Amino acid sequence: MPLSVSLSIEGDTTVIELTGELDAKTAPEFHQTIEKAAGHGTATVEIRMAGVGYMASAGLRSLVFAQQKVGGEVTIKVTGAIEPVARTIRTAGLDRSIVLSDD
Amino acid sequence: MVELARKPVVLDVPATVGALGEIAAFVLRLAGRAGLGKGATYRIRLAVDELATNIVMHGYRGGGGRITVRGRAGPDGVRIVIEDTAPAFDPVAGRLPPAPGIPPERRRVGGLGIHLALTSVDSYAYARRDGRNISTLTVKADEGTDACPPRP
Repeated sequence: MPLSVSLSIEGDTTVIELTGELDAKTAPEFHQTIEKAAGHGTATVEIRMAGVGYMASAGLRSLVFAQQKVGGEVTIKVTGAIEPVARTIRTAGLDRSIVLSDD
Repeated sequence: MVELARKPVVLDVPATVGALGEIAAFVLRLAGRAGLGKGATYRIRLAVDELATNIVMHGYRGGGGRITVRGRAGPDGVRIVIEDTAPAFDPVAGRLPPAPGIPPERRRVGGLGIHLALTSVDSYAYARRDGRNISTLTVKADEGTDACPPRP
């Protein structure tokens, strides 16, 4: 089940937009994009997830990887996640370090 | 007791990451047949996906093997049985509940996947029989039973 990933810069924010399904098969693609995003050196990395209809724990692993990759000074925001996806992020306790926003 | 159709449907696939999509499609078809709502459908899919992923990644350890998934759909819900011949592994024992004191980036996310699976279903049972790991999961059709785990 496919995942499409796009990367852009908007001002001081690196935007990663995900559409599709984030699981063990597709997460490596997201991983690669995170590596690129970490190299941009912006203050915020925003991960737009409104188009993600399903996320397994492999997606959580990618978010943890993103945190480790960008370091403590960079804010990671996950925006627009549907409720079951947001619930998965909260279950892992990742909403303590990642900003989880409905916008 | 969940009243389900007598005849189960069966899917037998190689234990590879590539087969996970096939397992997901199988579960979604069963959920559709049972008329599960969106929330219950998501929960059973997530649970089966996490357990199957665990079998692929850690059970067979890349050594090859097969995963058999049997499902029954009825008006009251879906029951799924996942079987593999990897070394004995009880997901309940391997579960890793979120640990509030530990920064997320230092936790074992793999164990968290099992925690996600077990908190997504209405019932779960594990058995080791004839050299097989057997997981039985049930999700009820009633959306009111949505098992939302407590915040860590």
